[in-house]
Amino acid sequence: MATSADAMDAVPSGTTPADTDRVVRHAAVDRVFHWLTAITVLTLMGTALLPIMGVRFDWSPIHWVAGVILILLTIFHLLRSMAWRKLRSIWFTAGELRREQVGKYSVAQKLMHHAMGLMALSAVVTGALMLKKVRTPFLERDPYIFGFDTWGVIYVIHGLAALAAVTLVMIHIYFALIPENRMYLRAMVRGWITRQEQRAHVAAHVTGKKQD
Amino acid sequence: MEIFRFGHDAWGRNVLEGVSWDLLPVAAGVGLVVILGHAVYRLVCRRSGG
Repeated sequence: MATSADAMDAVPSGTTPADTDRVVRHAAVDRVFHWLTAITVLTLMGTALLPIMGVRFDWSPIHWVAGVILILLTIFHLLRSMAWRKLRSIWFTAGELRREQVGKYSVAQKLMHHAMGLMALSAVVTGALMLKKVRTPFLERDPYIFGFDTWGVIYVIHGLAALAAVTLVMIHIYFALIPENRMYLRAMVRGWITRQEQRAHVAAHVTGKKQD
Repeated sequence: MEIFRFGHDAWGRNVLEGVSWDLLPVAAGVGLVVILGHAVYRLVCRRSGG
């Protein structure tokens, strides 16, 4: 079976495929969203986990500001997904599960998106509630809005999201860097893949499809 | 290894404070196992010509 790794030969280093050979995979707005989210999540992880590992600094202001940015990015992504795209397309089709067809994203890529989405939504919702516990210019601090037990559950969910983030970010970076996925990484930086790479994407995820 | 962190309120009662940070190495370990597992799978596939 051909894999998308074979497609890496499609763009020899130092050359650029003709514009007609390029297929837009990610619009500029989606790439900016992705990299802003990546920087924000890494900032949140650093400010949350470094103090736990003994690195002492005033992490709280950086953490809640980054958290507010992630809330805004999440709202933007949800609105864009629901208003400008078919929300249904993020789910799996029977053909994809039987390896008879593949869309823009493979089953594995969709699974990673859903895991990341669940982690981010858990962190964002609980983090938004936790903003009531810190002094911010736009919210009146009120730690008594919930009882101890409720805060405990909120902290557990937020902590589980942080732990999931560690696992998922490691896996995401690994799969972004392996050679057979480098075309997806380039697409997230420059926006395009070649037609040959697109055919390789199909060949790698659909049984019986051969790459040209 | 603890799963949760507990503290005490003003009346000395046990209160849930969050998930235990003992689980941090576990989270990193799970990520590492997936990465190593896939790396071995790739190697085996490549050697068998798959």
